[in-house]
Amino acid sequence: MKLKKISFKGVTLFLIFTLIMVLALSGCSGSSQGSNSKTIKLGLLEDRSGDFSLVGIQKYHAAELAVDQINQQGGLLGKKVVLDAPDTQSNNSVYQQMAKKLILQDHVVAIMGAYSSASREAIRPIMDQNKMLYFYNNQYEGGVADNDTFLTGAVPEQQIVPLMKYMIKKFGPRVYTIAADYNFGQISAQWVQQSVKQDGGKLVGQEFIPLDVSQFSSTISRIKAAKPDVLVTLLIGQNQSAFYEQWAKQGDKSIPMASSVNLAQTYEQLRFAPPTMANMYVTTSFMQELDTKYPGAKTFVDAFYKKFPHDKYVGQEAEAEYSGIMLWAKAVQKAKTTDRDAVIKALESGISYNGPTGPVTIDPKTHHVIRNMFLVNTDSKQKIQIDAEYKAVKPDWLSTAKGVDLPKKPQSHQYTPLGN
Amino acid sequence: MSLSSLMNQFINDFSFLILAAIGLAVIFGMMKIINLAHGEFIMLGAYITTLSAQAGVPLIISIVFGAIGVGIMGYLIDRLIICRLYGRTLDSVVVTWGISMVIQQGMLIIFGPSLQGVSTPLGSVSFAGSTYSVYRILLFAISIGALFLLYLIFMKTKFGLYSRATMQNQEIARSMGVNTNRIYSMTFSIGAAFAGLTGGLYAPTMAISPTFGTGFLMQSFVTVIVGGANPLIGTSLSGGVLGIVNSILDTTWGTFFGEIGLLICAILVIRLLPLGFSGVVEKWFVRKRRM
Amino acid sequence: MVQGKIKTENIVAALIFFFLFICPLFIDSYSVLNISYFLSMAFLSLSLTLIWGYCGIFSFGQAVFFGIGGYFYAVLTLNLTGTSAITPLGLLLGVILGGLAAWILGYFMFYGGVNDVFVGLITLCLTLVLSTFMGQTAGSAWNIGQVSLGGFNGINGIPALELGPISLSGNNFYYFVLIILFVIYCLLKLFTHSKVGAAIVAIRENRERTKMFGYNVPKIQSLVFAAGGALASLSGILYATWGNYITPSAFALSSATIPVVLVAAGGRKNFTASIIFTVLYYWFAQGLSASGSQYALVILGLILILVTLFVPDGIIVFLFHLSDRLFFHRESKMKEVQEEHLHEKNIG
Repeated sequence: MKLKKISFKGVTLFLIFTLIMVLALSGCSGSSQGSNSKTIKLGLLEDRSGDFSLVGIQKYHAAELAVDQINQQGGLLGKKVVLDAPDTQSNNSVYQQMAKKLILQDHVVAIMGAYSSASREAIRPIMDQNKMLYFYNNQYEGGVADNDTFLTGAVPEQQIVPLMKYMIKKFGPRVYTIAADYNFGQISAQWVQQSVKQDGGKLVGQEFIPLDVSQFSSTISRIKAAKPDVLVTLLIGQNQSAFYEQWAKQGDKSIPMASSVNLAQTYEQLRFAPPTMANMYVTTSFMQELDTKYPGAKTFVDAFYKKFPHDKYVGQEAEAEYSGIMLWAKAVQKAKTTDRDAVIKALESGISYNGPTGPVTIDPKTHHVIRNMFLVNTDSKQKIQIDAEYKAVKPDWLSTAKGVDLPKKPQSHQYTPLGN
Repeated sequence: MSLSSLMNQFINDFSFLILAAIGLAVIFGMMKIINLAHGEFIMLGAYITTLSAQAGVPLIISIVFGAIGVGIMGYLIDRLIICRLYGRTLDSVVVTWGISMVIQQGMLIIFGPSLQGVSTPLGSVSFAGSTYSVYRILLFAISIGALFLLYLIFMKTKFGLYSRATMQNQEIARSMGVNTNRIYSMTFSIGAAFAGLTGGLYAPTMAISPTFGTGFLMQSFVTVIVGGANPLIGTSLSGGVLGIVNSILDTTWGTFFGEIGLLICAILVIRLLPLGFSGVVEKWFVRKRRM
Repeated sequence: MVQGKIKTENIVAALIFFFLFICPLFIDSYSVLNISYFLSMAFLSLSLTLIWGYCGIFSFGQAVFFGIGGYFYAVLTLNLTGTSAITPLGLLLGVILGGLAAWILGYFMFYGGVNDVFVGLITLCLTLVLSTFMGQTAGSAWNIGQVSLGGFNGINGIPALELGPISLSGNNFYYFVLIILFVIYCLLKLFTHSKVGAAIVAIRENRERTKMFGYNVPKIQSLVFAAGGALASLSGILYATWGNYITPSAFALSSATIPVVLVAAGGRKNFTASIIFTVLYYWFAQGLSASGSQYALVILGLILILVTLFVPDGIIVFLFHLSDRLFFHRESKMKEVQEEHLHEKNIG
């Protein structure tokens, strides 16, 4: 009996203790509030750690700059814009969790972000499910037709198509492609394949490389054996960028390289000692070296480094993020509300803003953007030369080839050039 | 596929596998610790090398700095953390995982997501119709040199004798007056230094970032698994065999098949020879001695 | 033996399950969704507690069965959408498949005399094989039926579970996961205190001696490993239905390590501890990630190091014992745990 009494007392004590602990804990975790009457909450999902932080941090900083500038000009609808920006850690599962948190708990009005196409595809269904306005501000493999999604980066018809035309005309028909082995690389490679065919070239080799590969000697000997006139590199992530150093030593630097992601996105021209990145051709919507020729770019680059003096580069994805937020802000002002349907309607009115490299305009049918494109190359000292400028290139493949017209035919699908 | 390109591929694969694995093999073989921070040790070596090379130190000395720096850091980590875990193999998994998280994110915070690299030194030579990077050939020589160094450390020095004794039977070694804790610390430090050396050696051939080490992880684990507990015999044998397998698969079918081939090899070896190549060799020696 | 005694562990378990059962009444729907994710991941920890904590099989490969379950469910249900009762059937078959895969692997390992750290290494390799393989399935060649495996992008739009007319989302899904967790938790508790359970612990403590007693050690090991595989597969399926999504990163080295870390840091010989620590860890890690702090991973890493250094038996188990001593005047020291097991074995 006595024993039972003691343990009863113990249990009571224990329960009280537990109760105190629980209360203390719940006191600590203050719950966050959604957009209130004084602020507008904008969600941002970017990788600030892990493999993709190289670009993610640039984009995060560009978003901070954009929001700062909006707030300096009085905010939106008389309210201050606040960024709600978790770190997605280059992990698609974290992307999903954080997207749900931003939507369901923090009640943000729109979400910007994602770097890799895999991350975008991980969260896009969540956006669709929850009717959340989503901006993917990144160059990508193209083909996404989704009413809730706006894509402000460059697409293949703005990058790969003009680039391949230029390369084949200038250097010759034999093309070899190496690409990261996931959807971005696979679909981009399909675009290369299609462009090569249209421009009378010949694809002499195509290779997909797993994302964790960092040693390229066999790939290099295969490329050399195929004797291409042009080498297309669509490599992603830190491991794969080791290719260039190895190609410079074991490969054939006289073969020109072409890419839609390098230089302007992951600034290899500054990360590798010359002449590793020499003789590379890239089409891009923006890169910081354009500031020598375009005053808009200079203003943007200067503002960026004034706010983030320790950053190493500001490239095309940072500009896309910045432009995405500016377009959204303009649409909110036009719609006079942050309500999703009204903002989408305002965006679909073909809203346009004057970006760092000229006007950026929403194409209502496809939810992509019409923008100026630049073809640049690197000289033997890895300095950027501007070869060509394409004015107001339309992202019209979806609307012309696939008959996409989002305001009229709502859908959520990603088309591929060789698929359906 | 020509023989010369296969040869070239083998030279690359062999040196990569050996150098990726050697530090891990020392720590696993001698201490039975699965060091999940191995990739981060390699990455630190690459950072130290790159930073000092940019500061004007000749590359070869920078690489030595990388090895020594990581060796010292390994010693500190051992004294602070690992030494409390001797004999707790599986707990070391958790701790080294924690260490790898701290180091990787710490480097991101301190140095940002990228660092300007140094370019690969020494040009290239043409031989039998294909181009070889001289540095790659040098790496091959260095990987053999590293194995030889390992042989010297563990077979020809007093420390080596003590450490082998400790590895075989810690209790008896201790009762014979060997300071086993010091032996373990030294071993961990040597393993870390080898990882640092690897990082330094590969720094001029790859992009420098906090995730630098992840490119080595799979290969290093596979090599150690196939090799077994003895870092010297195991690593050199498995580096050779896996190098051949990988280079043949890689040159004939592509990178992906090379990777899968490595992994399947590893699974087969554990199933057929759970103690790895070194286990087989040791058994063979024991049998021979008995006869 | 233990059931009769009032111990912190049992009270805490009862309190937690009680709290979990009533909490959807007063927390918002997002939190419910979130907790159901944490609970789904708890099965993975339970599977490792069973095979590592109780049977002494150190596996890095629970992620393998997690991924197999998730992918199998995705491919099956997406191919047969519209078929009635396909989702619960997919769940059931997926769990069986996970168990079967684990049994086959276990059969080869344990009957082949592979044990201890080598099991860890072989399962680690298998994880890496699957992660490499699934990562390169982005091409159109990799379709199973109408479902593209999707490579690094993974598979999206995996249907949620449906029990007859009830779609398991939101609170329904939460209660579904919770009830399964509760049932499995109780079963595991009962099982490990049964006679077979004692044999399993005996295998952990000494394989040779257990064999001498006439137990078929490899058989028991394979069966326990299969049960662990089934649990991990269940976890994978629940995860896939939670996010409607599965990727090769389910097989990645980090995914393979996390269960080991959770179970080791929480207390690997204790089911309650591993559930609690899993939920706390995911909650805390998510909070850190949401805060966007660049120190998140550093803090997480430091915590793991400190826990392993200073509370080697696991933080939750340590707290249990501390509280036992404080409130119930039991002179329970860490070593007593093992004695208790021995004692149980004799009685059991």
